[in-house]
Amino acid sequence: MGGEADRDWVCLGVVRAAVGVRGDVRIGTYTAEARAISDYGPLRVGLDGPDLRLRVVRSQGDVVVGRFEGFADRTEVERLKGKLLYVLRSRLPAPDEDSYYHHDLVGLAVQDETGATVGRVRAVHNFGAGDLVEVARSDGDNAMVPFTRAAIPVVDLAGGRIVLAPGTDLA
Amino acid sequence: MARSVWKGPFVDGYLLKKAETARASQRKEVIKTWSRRSTILPQFVGLTFGVYNGHKFMPVLVNENMVGHKFGEFSPTRTFHGHSGDKKAKRA
Repeated sequence: MGGEADRDWVCLGVVRAAVGVRGDVRIGTYTAEARAISDYGPLRVGLDGPDLRLRVVRSQGDVVVGRFEGFADRTEVERLKGKLLYVLRSRLPAPDEDSYYHHDLVGLAVQDETGATVGRVRAVHNFGAGDLVEVARSDGDNAMVPFTRAAIPVVDLAGGRIVLAPGTDLA
Repeated sequence: MARSVWKGPFVDGYLLKKAETARASQRKEVIKTWSRRSTILPQFVGLTFGVYNGHKFMPVLVNENMVGHKFGEFSPTRTFHGHSGDKKAKRA
């Protein structure tokens, strides 16, 4: 992921292995709730693969076991092993006010109060003390900035940028 | 084995002083600390600490739910970059 062409597609999981002999697969999920992987309609298997509808059978942690529609044989699903599963970004529901999908934030330009670009958003983390934006600075180092109104007063998705508050420490 | 209750929670003395100074000054500055072992006390709620993870200072805005935990729990020393999926961040 990361290329401009991939911005329209959100990776929700990866096919880990075949389970049993009836065409079930074990899928590692990247969704907030593991079972939500099947909530957004058919999944594209690899960016150039077919669209397949998934029926989740059971889940444990961030892993689900499910069956793709039209697959009833272990040999068939073994070919899918290692494939990433995508949905179109437009299929995700609109987030609440002042909530943002990590997918939308990653890659935005980070500007200071003067409008100068100081880096790009590399990732969004939450280690239990609120959301943190990881900024890949222009000089190659990384910095963590709290995702708060005080530190990041402007989030401009259409403009492809976030603006840091004056005095925000990027050390 | 759990720490004896009669000792009270452990906090590095210098950190307690820094927090008191920051609270008295009413400034929203990040209190940099290397003391990952210190327990988060109720008087730290609302303050922002920069907790060192061996590489940089991770911003930790203390809230009530974090009282009793150690600072190090909120500043992991290893960072995993996975796919973002459908995860959302809310601006506080």
